[in-house]
Amino acid sequence: MLDTALAGLVNGSSYALLALGLSLIFGVANVINFAHASVFAVGAMSGWWFAVDLGWPLWAVVLGVAVVTGLLGLVINVVAVTPLAKAPPIAALLSTFAVSVVVDNGAQLVFGPETRRFPALLATDNLGLGGLRFGTLDVTILVVAVGLMLLLGWFLRSSRYGRAIRAVAQDRDAAAQMGIPLARVQNLAFVVASVLGGVAGVLGGMYLNNISPTVGSTVGMSAFAAATLGGLGSLPGAVAGGLLLGVVEAFGVSWWGGNARTLITFAVLLIVLWVRPSGLFGKRAPLAAEPMTGTFFGAARTIQLRPWQVAVAAVAAYVVPAVALDDYTVQIGVQVVVYAILALSLTLVSGQAGQISLGQAAPLAIGAYTSALLTTSTGLDFWLSLPIAGVVAAVLSVVLVSPSWRLRGHYVSIATLATGLLVAAAAVNFDWLTNGPSGVAAIPPPTLFGAPVSAPLAVYFLDLTILLVVLLLVVRLRRSTLGRIWSAVREDEVAARSSGIAVADYKSLAFGIGGFVAGIGGALFAQQYSYIDPSVFGISVSLLALTIVVLGGLNSPLGAVVGAIVLVGLPEALRMLQETRMLAYGVLLLAVVLLRPQGLMGKVAR
Amino acid sequence: MISRRGLFVAAAGAGATAVLASCGRLSGEQTTAAAAPAEGPIFFGVSAPLSGSSAEYGKIWRTGFDLALDEINGAGGVKGRKVELLWEDTQSDQKQSVPVAQKFAGDSRVLAELGDFASPASMAASPVYEKAHLVQFGFTNSHPDFTKGGEYMWSTSTTQQDHAPELAELANSLGKKHAVYYINTDWGKTTWKLYEEHAKKAGFQIVHSEAVQADGADFRPSLIKGRDAGADVLVFIAYYQAAALLTQQAKNVGLTQTKIALPSSAYSPQYLALGGEATEGAQVIVRFHPGDPRPEVRDFVKKYQDRYGKQPDDFGAGAYDALKILAWAVGQSDGTREGVRKALAEGKDIPSLLYGPFAFREDRRVKVPPSTRLVVKGGAFTLVGA
Repeated sequence: MLDTALAGLVNGSSYALLALGLSLIFGVANVINFAHASVFAVGAMSGWWFAVDLGWPLWAVVLGVAVVTGLLGLVINVVAVTPLAKAPPIAALLSTFAVSVVVDNGAQLVFGPETRRFPALLATDNLGLGGLRFGTLDVTILVVAVGLMLLLGWFLRSSRYGRAIRAVAQDRDAAAQMGIPLARVQNLAFVVASVLGGVAGVLGGMYLNNISPTVGSTVGMSAFAAATLGGLGSLPGAVAGGLLLGVVEAFGVSWWGGNARTLITFAVLLIVLWVRPSGLFGKRAPLAAEPMTGTFFGAARTIQLRPWQVAVAAVAAYVVPAVALDDYTVQIGVQVVVYAILALSLTLVSGQAGQISLGQAAPLAIGAYTSALLTTSTGLDFWLSLPIAGVVAAVLSVVLVSPSWRLRGHYVSIATLATGLLVAAAAVNFDWLTNGPSGVAAIPPPTLFGAPVSAPLAVYFLDLTILLVVLLLVVRLRRSTLGRIWSAVREDEVAARSSGIAVADYKSLAFGIGGFVAGIGGALFAQQYSYIDPSVFGISVSLLALTIVVLGGLNSPLGAVVGAIVLVGLPEALRMLQETRMLAYGVLLLAVVLLRPQGLMGKVAR
Repeated sequence: MISRRGLFVAAAGAGATAVLASCGRLSGEQTTAAAAPAEGPIFFGVSAPLSGSSAEYGKIWRTGFDLALDEINGAGGVKGRKVELLWEDTQSDQKQSVPVAQKFAGDSRVLAELGDFASPASMAASPVYEKAHLVQFGFTNSHPDFTKGGEYMWSTSTTQQDHAPELAELANSLGKKHAVYYINTDWGKTTWKLYEEHAKKAGFQIVHSEAVQADGADFRPSLIKGRDAGADVLVFIAYYQAAALLTQQAKNVGLTQTKIALPSSAYSPQYLALGGEATEGAQVIVRFHPGDPRPEVRDFVKKYQDRYGKQPDDFGAGAYDALKILAWAVGQSDGTREGVRKALAEGKDIPSLLYGPFAFREDRRVKVPPSTRLVVKGGAFTLVGA
């Protein structure tokens, strides 16, 4: 008991250190910084370099890492966050995600992909308690986490710059009017937060023993959960959330086994958000300052295509691959189409109803598994499984997201993120249903007129036809009364409620219909690969789907298609770059978000 | 302005035209690529993780492949033609291995394919290779079902069916109360099931078993359970990173006297580097080990060490061997894709670093000789009893 709790506490303190930085940045810049976990990894890797290759002592390592990660934080803010200050928060979220792709892959190129041993610069097993060996290191981590929180608290309360940071966090415009240099304060917040992240990387590296350039992603998701659990923007909340999550995870693992860790983490997060929508320590803002997507539509109008242009494009989509493209390119086309369908589900949820979802892989996975399991184990025909997949995904989407109706702004994104990860974790853990990590193999291809649809071109035609139907559905929905009500909910929830609109019901409906569309996409996805396992439906799929709609223009159904072509095609087009492929992808992604935050298919009204 | 109905008719018409125009490509039949060129370099495709969390294995493959390429091309190539590799990064993700397979299938220069790293990524791509009559040489794919994907799926990897019972026997020779930790991937789970099966038959006592996350960082709560169950031997069914972490953290929770048994996937100099002193005394079963006295092994180990400054592991040796086998097969063949498959099927004494001269079994796998046991002694792998 005691040793399990202790193990959890020590592990939780590295979450706490990361969560502190996340919360600080959120408070000042109102941005969820996806690159923060990468800063952790850079801290760990550069710490390794200082300690092993250069042989520096611990104090110098920490100092060196603080300089490196502090600079990195400054660069992240200047390059990816500040330019988007006037854009909606969603654009900054995606740009930090792009930065994380760049930093992770950059680190992998600089340091090499190998896992390596982080030298124990402090003793790890010189103390003992209840059979558990622990050391100066563990105690140090715990003390440093709490100490830094107190130090940071003092800094924010008592120093000039600290007060400036708090003022900005409370009201940017008012702070600016009082003469507070916003840019400098925000830079400072990023530097401080990133130094914390870097130091966490060094301590975490020592605690975990082994590190690699991708180490951030493992710890990062738990840190997100910890920061949200404690209440975004609250420093004591970040530390409490981190420690609590560490302990709960440790006992959860002890009871249900190590593979349940992710499931536990995000189930805890969702339950806490359900009971306390602003986290344990967060203050419930009387009104969300601004909807996640709000100002977007005021400034941007979508580029409208004329009907004949749409017709030409549709015809070309059928004819060109058939006569001019080889099977490899057609196979990419199949992926583009499936991602376009997934993105269209988000056009409804995020574009029309304004609910930013970072977990749209969830209904995709549910649809895929439903169709795959029905066709393989009960021998049901694919065509029957298709609508069932959609309905199951719709129902489960509504149920899973229902706790979040009380949530606002960023909390909705984090809750959907948790839902997405939860569904993937459930697919791993519910062996009896999903076959666990072994996945579902030998999914039969659909048949049409008695012939199997399995050649790339045949699959492409089938999926494309379904995409066109979905496209038509989405366009129709947008123009309907329902679409207008969703727009009202998106633009001003309070006004919508005042006009008698049952806001929560309409949000449910958006997630439901979006879930149906994504579920259909999932069924196609499963048939296309003939094999699925839980790893296919990771967080990267959710983020890609959201990136596609934002890039295409959140409010433009055709934009979802264009975005899918660009973002699914890009990594393939970059194939000749080999190891540097994903780095280049990240850089291009960042460039696109910065240059066209309103989306490819959006234009700014002048 | 065209009416809506007009649009629909036009689209339907175009669809029909496209369908008719491409009738041949719509059926699920074999997609025959153009005949391979008879001159110029010989190409093999490599579907591998070059970025993402498995990138380090792609890097190890490269060491083995590069060494083999230098040898083959240094000796004048195959039938006077140079051998070249076409690398494609898949991150060992089936969403990417399938299009890559399609790319190789459509490239008539490609005579055979190597990879992918993880069995799921390979198995998702298998139907494409099968249709293209292109050999998919999955030399790390230990999943029992991999070569069942079709006539063109070949592997020199041990299967878990061979490996798991040997691991159980090793563990039982070290202690009577097994605590087994397996990474929660398809590979880990399959190995565990076969392990458990064998243990039941042989009457071994398993006091604790648990799936752990492959990319997990903190295994202490899980290890405490094994400690409290009274385990005297720990079995880590994992790759070397997770195995090294588990080994270290076992000491941290007080399992200092407990023996450790490992599968060959943990056998790597990296295991020692990552695990440090905690690895002392751990035992591992391997098919390849650098101390093997056979001349070809000694030659390979020396070359590898000269070039990379470290000992080859299972993945590096496996990559080297796989490429040399494929080059041999092309040398025996008429220079077509089908010829490569035939050469593999009919070869009686296929030269191999790992196994010596061998022939493939009916199931397109190798009858693997009994594995060797190594123990970590003084920070190095040494033969048990040596």
